[in-house]
Amino acid sequence: MRKSFLAPAITVAISAIVPLVGNAADWPFWGGTSSRNMVSPEIGLPQTWDAGRYIQGSEEIDMATTRNVKWVSKLGSQAYGNMTVSKGKVLIGTNNEVPRDPRFTGDRAVLLCLDEQTGKMVWQLAIPKLGTGKISDWEFLGLCSSPAIDGDKVYVVTNRCEVLCLDLNGMANGNDGPYQDEAKYSTIGTKQSVTMGAQDADILWRFDMRRELGVFPHNITNCGPLIMGDKVIVTTSNGVDWTHTNMPNPKAPALAMLDKNTGALLGEENSGVSGRTLHSNWSSAAGGQVRGKDMVIFGGGDGFCYGLDTKTTLKGNFEIMDELWRFDCNPATYRKDKTGKPLKYATFNGPSEVIATPVLYKEKVYVPIGQDPEHGEGLGSLVCIDPTKRANLQKTGLVWRYDKIHRSLSTPSILGNLMFVADFSGFIHCVDVTTGKPYWVFDSKSHIWASTLVADGKLYVGTEDGDVIVLAASKQMKELGRFDMRAPVYSTVVAANGTLYVATPTHLYAIGKSKTAQAPIDHNSPVAKAQLARMEVNAAKARAEHQALTACLVDGRSAVKED
Amino acid sequence: MRNLAGSLVAAALMMSSAAFADVDGWLNWRGPEGIGVSREKGLPEKLALGTPVHRWTIPMAGGGTPVIAGNKVYGFGYRGTGADLQEVLFCASAETGKILWEHGFNDFLSDITYDRYTIGSPTVDAETGNVYVMTSAGEFVAYTAEGKPVFRIPMMEAFGRLTFTNGRTGAPTIEKDLVIIRGVTSNWGADGPAMDRLYAFDKKTGEVVWSASPGKAPKDNTFGRPIFGWLNGKRVLYTGSGDGSLVCVNARNGQTIWRLPVSAGGMNATVVLHKGKVIGIHGDENLDSSEKGRMLAVKVDAKVTPVEGEPPLLDKAAEVWRNKLTAVSSSPVLVGDTLYETTATGQLNAINANTGAIIWTLKLAPDQLHASPTYADGKLYIPFQNGMLYVIKPTPTKGIILSKTQLAGRGIGAPAVWNGRVYVFTTGGLYCFGNPIVPKNQTAGLPKDVATYPAPGPIASLQLIPSELLLRTGDKAKVRIQGIDANGLPVKELPVTDATFASFVPPTAKVKSTLDGSFDKNGVFTAGAPSAGAFKATIGPLSGTLRGRNVQPLPFNIDFENFTPTEPDTYEPGPLFAYPPLPWIGARGKFDVRDLDTSKVFAKTLDNIFFQRATVFFGHPDEKDYTITAEVRADGSKRTMSTVGLVCQRYYVILNGNAQELEINSNQERIKATVPFKMEPETWYVMSARVDVQPDGSGIVRAKVWPKGQAEPAKWTLEVKHKNVHRQGSPGIFGFSPQSLYKVYVDNISVKSNR
Repeated sequence: MRKSFLAPAITVAISAIVPLVGNAADWPFWGGTSSRNMVSPEIGLPQTWDAGRYIQGSEEIDMATTRNVKWVSKLGSQAYGNMTVSKGKVLIGTNNEVPRDPRFTGDRAVLLCLDEQTGKMVWQLAIPKLGTGKISDWEFLGLCSSPAIDGDKVYVVTNRCEVLCLDLNGMANGNDGPYQDEAKYSTIGTKQSVTMGAQDADILWRFDMRRELGVFPHNITNCGPLIMGDKVIVTTSNGVDWTHTNMPNPKAPALAMLDKNTGALLGEENSGVSGRTLHSNWSSAAGGQVRGKDMVIFGGGDGFCYGLDTKTTLKGNFEIMDELWRFDCNPATYRKDKTGKPLKYATFNGPSEVIATPVLYKEKVYVPIGQDPEHGEGLGSLVCIDPTKRANLQKTGLVWRYDKIHRSLSTPSILGNLMFVADFSGFIHCVDVTTGKPYWVFDSKSHIWASTLVADGKLYVGTEDGDVIVLAASKQMKELGRFDMRAPVYSTVVAANGTLYVATPTHLYAIGKSKTAQAPIDHNSPVAKAQLARMEVNAAKARAEHQALTACLVDGRSAVKED
Repeated sequence: MRNLAGSLVAAALMMSSAAFADVDGWLNWRGPEGIGVSREKGLPEKLALGTPVHRWTIPMAGGGTPVIAGNKVYGFGYRGTGADLQEVLFCASAETGKILWEHGFNDFLSDITYDRYTIGSPTVDAETGNVYVMTSAGEFVAYTAEGKPVFRIPMMEAFGRLTFTNGRTGAPTIEKDLVIIRGVTSNWGADGPAMDRLYAFDKKTGEVVWSASPGKAPKDNTFGRPIFGWLNGKRVLYTGSGDGSLVCVNARNGQTIWRLPVSAGGMNATVVLHKGKVIGIHGDENLDSSEKGRMLAVKVDAKVTPVEGEPPLLDKAAEVWRNKLTAVSSSPVLVGDTLYETTATGQLNAINANTGAIIWTLKLAPDQLHASPTYADGKLYIPFQNGMLYVIKPTPTKGIILSKTQLAGRGIGAPAVWNGRVYVFTTGGLYCFGNPIVPKNQTAGLPKDVATYPAPGPIASLQLIPSELLLRTGDKAKVRIQGIDANGLPVKELPVTDATFASFVPPTAKVKSTLDGSFDKNGVFTAGAPSAGAFKATIGPLSGTLRGRNVQPLPFNIDFENFTPTEPDTYEPGPLFAYPPLPWIGARGKFDVRDLDTSKVFAKTLDNIFFQRATVFFGHPDEKDYTITAEVRADGSKRTMSTVGLVCQRYYVILNGNAQELEINSNQERIKATVPFKMEPETWYVMSARVDVQPDGSGIVRAKVWPKGQAEPAKWTLEVKHKNVHRQGSPGIFGFSPQSLYKVYVDNISVKSNR
């Protein structure tokens, strides 16, 4: 009894006392960097945890029942966005079903800024709903965007189809920037009058994509803004209306580029994406340098992937981002049947759009196709594209295609020569990055909305059934653990500064050095010392391997620390 | 098994069930006892395709449950693609699967996408053998067992029934002489605001007897079947509602007995009754916690608190138990004191119906949407969204998989069981399974009609039938009067000659309007000028009301010049506006009448983005063979522009500002044709459209458009052939201001007969 109790306890204690946090780093953007590769350089992350149980009669987690949980922050009732972490703050989108401020009640989308160490709210942005119903701002969906943190500024797209630039430090240091109408903004559609306070968000500028671009957002506006130099690049969520066939505005852009300092419109795509859009444009853009030049990689709502130049050309009234290449991510057999008849969208065999984010890795682009989970399961495809090619790219640009994947919402993780990617049907695939040949496929037996995160030699992924599954990030398939979060896990696990972040629709867990009561450990006991020695050896090995592999990340990160 | 028998007796006492006097069978979606249970024996446990237990398959897609009456199977399926797709009500031989008769129905003007058709089921009336179904576009139809039409009611144009992306028609429900359907409607007057409403019709004539608005603003188009019971002497129905409430409604007069708000989304699943409790499940936000989904049981006879202007509220203390199960619309099955429920993530759960405790869970599929289990012969037959069909033996501690079979298509309905056969409808076909030898006397022991009403009390009020009229000026309608007691139970039909009729304005009416027309001594109403309002019938101290609307007969012109804008516009202060005509469906709050330049025009409102798109019906649904012409204008900017158009015999004819196209459609996935047309914002155009029907049932939809002030072109701008052309439909107006940014206007409408 004592032995079985002691072993996990020691693991906890050791992870607390040994400085295993190697490449401790922030995770300021969706995907960590502009490459969007879902790999973190973090090592020494917690091996096990327990999400705990509610205090009876409340929705508060009883911390005494948790293990290795640093803090838990109550969210609303839905949280489809993803956490970003920078400069001591954790940002996450949710809804307002648990109002944190009596001034802001009712259904709203909420961006929470939490203290990284304590999980306590620093400030929030509680955004009124558009009032469209499900078509453009679905009730209770909350804020789905993954905020981008760039220095002291936060970029986010809202449920109201806006791009907002916020002060990472909130209103506590005053109402900065040209935008001064935060009080008015917070009460749109109400007769309320409020005075903003220190725990409110400070909007620096605001860009309304509905009015300025003519966008008709479908269901909700979502993307993780991409920062490239002085530019912020967003997808617009322009999509179909209730009929799911009619595009109310086929000429509105699916992607736009703004001046990150002023919010001025700099350019937009004009590749006809909206006219071909199957459902909506929800994929976030990736970016980086290809052959020494900036390139924006965009997965379109039409199922094509695009390479766009950040340089623009004036066409008519609008500055257009030059299209460098486009590639149909759907195999031809998903578009048309053998007789040449177009296959219907939202059928098992039909074409799909891109919802996952393309990954730019060593001058190759990797992206799966997928559809709204409401459309069910169906055929998928994962492609590797050579973005240096131009002419006849559909043939010359295809490096490989992997069709054993089902429809996917998940952004891949590439570590060395291995790619890990999940699909909506619940399979996690490990394929060779250079050939696209699979090494293994793991069946989670649950739908997966989230992306994989590879860190510390392990793969973490949350499932709709409410588990975080941990696999070895290796050629050999090995399940290392399965942690019941007691609610669906739609968001992607994030690792930052030695802590794992796991969000359910209702709670955000910071999994790391535990503050909770743990069984007393005799750190000088022979068992503990032996465990410590083993952990040190393993940690050193894992650190070395992981550092070697993550060194090749296309990296926009400036805050990487070495231990 | 002892528990099951006990439960069936208990259920029989509480449930209405259908009458079993004339027709026996699995007559409705949830089976003879309304709880998804059959008492049959000798059913197969391995449902493998291509084996002797696989009796036959009808190759037709279906999204619901077939019903069986004697040796006939009735299914509601769909077939065809594109413009030729039709929903089909069919009758087939239970023995062979041979189709005996069928009727096809077009979708029209709906938002249904991805072929989400026939999500519901037909219902057979045990007394008459008639079969009832509502199509996805809202045509409520009744046929005899031989396939002869009984009635056909266009719910969209007559009652403002709305359609949604996900289809969901539900199932008509029989209650003695009534057949009850439901849907989200945006009708006129007090029923103008969209609400999940119930409508009871005389099952033989199709006359509406009552309508009920038991909830508040809907969040979902709930399609669960009402379940009947007795409560304090009243015949009542229980159901989840689109506003997220559990509701109890008097099944005889439509009055709401109570409402219990539970969810921020719809309560979609069909409820079950168990020992004085109604048990429901949902999959959206709870109102008292931030978790999604809940199964709960509430006492039906708990304290009720009146709320002014709203349905009465059931005390929260009525809740007996709750658990955390989540289901979009999969309905529970009740076997004795055990519930079986498939949840949103594909688990089968056994639940103690007394306590709500989850006894065991078995993961069977990645998800579950609409399909529900059916219990029979000690087994649960469970189709799943992914097309997998399981047979599970439930034990007190676990579920044992007896077989699993991959069927074609998706499983959306629940299996039906009758006479040794198990019927499963998927979008891949209607499958019939059964052992070669069927035990005899399978129906023995089924409860007989327990919906026998007690002797009613004295007449307390009058029920006017029909309770709502839709007539053209000059049309006549005969009204009947039924005396009902204080509980709403029918006492007897009274001589209408004894009644006096007078125009009536309900004291709560926000618009003080009257219905033009008069009653003769025989209770025949002759419709006067276009108008909407109510009449009260009085016999001695007793009274009752009906409401109605008169619309214009062909031909007619509308130029809006007789409107007087007096209402201040708070959204765009300055101009005044007038409300649209009350008898127009779908107009108020979405359009108004105001001055523009030197004319009065019909204008799209922008103040409520929820109404950024709107369809107005201003004529009679039976109109056909007409030409509609109007002046139209859409405003916009260099980035976006609005869309404006007309409705002609169930086709939209629209000028799409952003696409710069003239378009004809009627459900965009079914029929859609466009031709480029350059249009400028803030510019008037003239549109004209007609539908020409050929003797073979095909037809051509024709539309033309030209700048106002120019000569009408001789040729049609766009002509579209349609194999199964819509043969009738109310004229109307369409306006779509994407994101409520720019207005559209319509003026000088004319509708003329082509004859």
